[in-house]
Order: sequence, then C-alpha cells, then structure tokens
Amino acid sequence: MENRNTKHEYPGLLIVIEGTDGSGKSTQINLLKRWIEDKSYGCMVSEWKTSRLIANVIDDAKDRNLLNATTFSLLYAADFADRLENTIIPALKAGFVVLLDRYTYTAFARDVVRGQDMEWVKKLYNFAPEPDLTFYLEVPIDILLKRVIGTTGLDYWESGRDIGLSSDFYKSFKIYQGKCLDEYEQMKSEYNFNSIDGTLPVEEIHKKIVEKVQCLLNEGKLD
Amino acid sequence: MQEGQDLRLFEEHNLKGTLICVEGIDGSGKSTQLSILRDWLKSKGLDVIHTEWNSSELISQTTKKAKKKNLLSPRTFSLLHAVDFADRLEQIIIPAMKAGFIVLADRYVYTAFARDVARGVDKDWVRNMYGFAIKPDLTLYYSINAETSLERICSNRTPSFYEAGMDLKLSNNPYKSYVIFQNMVNTEYLQMVDEFGLVKIDAQQSIHSKQLKMREYVTNCLKKKGINI
Repeated sequence: MENRNTKHEYPGLLIVIEGTDGSGKSTQINLLKRWIEDKSYGCMVSEWKTSRLIANVIDDAKDRNLLNATTFSLLYAADFADRLENTIIPALKAGFVVLLDRYTYTAFARDVVRGQDMEWVKKLYNFAPEPDLTFYLEVPIDILLKRVIGTTGLDYWESGRDIGLSSDFYKSFKIYQGKCLDEYEQMKSEYNFNSIDGTLPVEEIHKKIVEKVQCLLNEGKLD
Repeated sequence: MQEGQDLRLFEEHNLKGTLICVEGIDGSGKSTQLSILRDWLKSKGLDVIHTEWNSSELISQTTKKAKKKNLLSPRTFSLLHAVDFADRLEQIIIPAMKAGFIVLADRYVYTAFARDVARGVDKDWVRNMYGFAIKPDLTLYYSINAETSLERICSNRTPSFYEAGMDLKLSNNPYKSYVIFQNMVNTEYLQMVDEFGLVKIDAQQSIHSKQLKMREYVTNCLKKKGINI
C-alpha cells in the first residue's frame, strides 16, 4: 500500500473546493456539477464526513462531547480513508469528474488549530492523491460571521468551543475561524490553491471556476 | 521515522506511574499472565489498573460491528484501532499515569505495528500515527508460533475473518490463512524486539515459570521507579 501524495494516474479528474464554513462551497459545487454534466461528462460529489462507516460515530461523539484533539483527527481521517477507498477512487477509476466539498486541507487547518503537529497530520493523510485542481473560496471573518449567524447559527464545533478559546460563542467562533483562515492562508501557495474572492456574486465565482475547469477539460484526459 | 520530529512514543515519559504492556499473537497466554500479575501487585497494596485493546467507549462497538460485516480495508482497520487507542490513552492511561498508578496494558501500539504492517500498511505511516502514545516502561512479548496459537484458540471455533487475515486473500481456508497471517505478524513483532526494546519471552513454558519471570522483570522495572516490592 504505497503512500501517494503525488499526481494520481486514474482516468478521472479530482477537483476540490475548500473554504471555511459559510464560504459558499456547496452552492458552487452544485453549480459546477450541473455545468459539467451539461458538457456530457460524468460527475460525482463527495462531501466531508459522509462515510457510511464512520460519519454517524463522529456526530454521536460530538453530541456527547467525547472527542479529544487526537480522536477528533483520527476519526476524520478514518472517515476520509473510507470515502477515498469506497467512493472517490472507484469513481476516478471509472473516469468521473469527482468534486470534493473539502479535502485533506480542511483536516490540516482544523487539526493544527486544535494543537496537532502539522507534520503529524500531513503524514496521517499522505495516502490521499493530489487533486488536479483546488479552489479556495476566501471570505473575511466578519462576512463569514454574518453569513453563518444568518443561516445555520453558531455551532459548538464550528466555533471551536471544544478547545476553550472563549466561553463567549461569538468571540470563540471569531477566534477559531480566524485561526483556520490563517492556516489556509499558509497552505495557499504550498498546495497551489486557486484562490477566489468568496464575497463576489455567486455567478461571478462560478464563472471563474468554470474557466479553470474548462482549461483542465481541454487537456483532453476525459475525451 | 523522519528526523526532527519529537514524537512522544520515542522518548522516556516523565509521569509518576509505570506502564507495563504485554504483546503477542492470540493464544500466547499474555492475558492470563497479566491477570495473575495484577492480583499479585494488588495484594502488595499497589494501585493498579488494567486496559485492553479495542475496548474504548467511543469506538470499540463500531469497530466490532464493521469487522463482523467485513467492511474494513487495511487503512480504515488501522485508523479505527488508533481512534480506540487514542481514546483510552487520554481517558484511562494518562490520568492513571499522572496519579502514579501501575498501568497494565493488554496489547499496546506494537499490536497495531505488527498487524497493520502485516496487512500491507506502510510502516512509517503507522508509527507516525501512533507517535502520540507514551513509551512503556516495560513491554513483554510472548512469542509463540502460529500453529500452536491456532491449536490453542481454535479448538472449538473457526478463527474470525480479520484474525485469520482473510481480507488479504492468502488462502480460502481460514485455518491455513490464520497460520500464514499470524506468522507475518510474528515476523513484525520480532523486528520490534530491537527497534523498541520488547522483551521476548518463550510462551511455550508453563504458566508458573512464565509468571516467575514476569515478576522478576516487573520488580526490576518498579525498582527503577522507587517502588520496592
């Protein structure tokens, strides 16, 4: 079982959209999926923490407040490994465009903010294939706050309440997501993120995304 | 392991307690030895706790269910056992070590190193993953060959799917597969005698003579901690 972390050689394409909560990832993924299918390519979406094997365990453990930083990291890695082996790689082998709502970078950011060593987390995920294209939707903290409060509301874990940053929900969210943003900022160049201003109108972001995706499709791998 | 990484597993701990582990494939008699040792230490008035592999509240039931359905790949098998271990480490082992207990662990990270690597998981990857573990004060490896192990545990049952390494498709016959797989596990254990300083003990000896030897090692280990029995 080799450790990859290199360009994959599957016939399909691996496209990742990253960003913090409320950055608009899901909206863009839905639009992109429709666009790709309109072009007559097979497209599949896989979201973070959705494996059949383990996603429920994570939700349950979060509800009962059973997680420490290490079990948090390892459970998410197990979820990812299960999806990679049972969903993502089979789809890549079958020549699909696989759209990923969050990828290993989410784990890098969150785990490091929870106090894990970056090298440790990177090695933990070194079996993940490198994406063909990674988009990062960048949204400043104040706008994120408004978006999240206006929709789902502040969540215990999204606010990093487990790491005791502040007993004030608002403050805690701001500090936690701010730290996550710092981590993303550092990963931008290291992992060739295509950074997009997430405060632009939905249609404009979509246009920027499909421009890049079109270039990738033009390489002809799927034809 | 790569340099420049200060993983806890590779450094002496400075906790008050003492961590004693037993390792070896099934049927090596390690659990019997550990439970006799526990009673003896308790009779000496020492604070002792005992913890077993794959027994955490957080995940052990999920892992057992997934195993029953043969749902696990070598990678997820490895990760789920690490979750279990991490949970017990934080909830049970480290608090007890801080409180000065003698912690008896029936299997420790070396079980994962042996089994997961035998399953084809990258050696460095699994060692890095468990790098957060604390280094034991003493680890006894009960060595027994796979054929004898099979006789001991399978007198009245077939070995389970993962015990027999059936996921690796080594043989369609679970008994044959068990012997091949557990021999691979033993090969990994043997390498760890030097790598991690495991103390190898011949598991073919009588329960009594194994216990005498165990007490000798444990007594010496505790002496270094300032505990005289």
